[in-house]
Amino acid sequence: MPDDPIIPPPDTADALAAVAALRRLADQLEDAAVEQAMRGGWSWPRVAEALGVTRQAVYKKHARRLIAAGVELRRRQG
Amino acid sequence: MSPFDRYLHAVLVRAEHEAREDGSSTVEAGHLLLAIAGEGHADTRRVLEPAGLDRAAVRAALDREFEHSLSAVGVSRAAHTLPRPSGRPAHPGMGTSAKLVLERGFAAVPRKKDLRPGHLLLGVLTAEVGTVPRALALAGSDRAALLAAVRQALTDPT
Repeated sequence: MPDDPIIPPPDTADALAAVAALRRLADQLEDAAVEQAMRGGWSWPRVAEALGVTRQAVYKKHARRLIAAGVELRRRQG
Repeated sequence: MSPFDRYLHAVLVRAEHEAREDGSSTVEAGHLLLAIAGEGHADTRRVLEPAGLDRAAVRAALDREFEHSLSAVGVSRAAHTLPRPSGRPAHPGMGTSAKLVLERGFAAVPRKKDLRPGHLLLGVLTAEVGTVPRALALAGSDRAALLAAVRQALTDPT
């Protein structure tokens, strides 16, 4: 197989910046979606499983913020 | 507390506020630039004002960069319509890009007592890649000219 020339992506800077922007958008979406779930009575284990992360991770990231916002948090899925 | 320490403290407090407003868990370089523009020290105003960069203009430029970068991969900022989440109560930590700003600003002087407000702006403007230089470019601001202006202001205090 002949050596193919390496074709650079259209714009490297745009591609890298898109990664940073998507991470930021994902963080914003996560904050909003977890808040909506907890306000809707979802439990931490259920939210964690839906996100594909551990309970500890989701609790550590969001509990303080939601408690400060006055969201009533469920301990257990009824 | 030296005048620079007081200035740095004021900028960091403002930057934390900007980060929280932004829903960000960390203070980034963009938040420092917003804070520097908002704080409006004479040394930095000399550089930013002729370029039309007040706090609102910086905010608009950063928002535009966010939208522009998302659009590069076909994503819109308005892709979801969930309500805005509650803010984070904790102090946001210093993010990587903000740490670089401080490192670069502080590295510009041989002794800490030589630090002036312009050095913080110098630290922001030195970054060649990342959100801030992209935002400035999209806003039509010439980063190299701003950098030259801040260097000039630092060597020629009025």
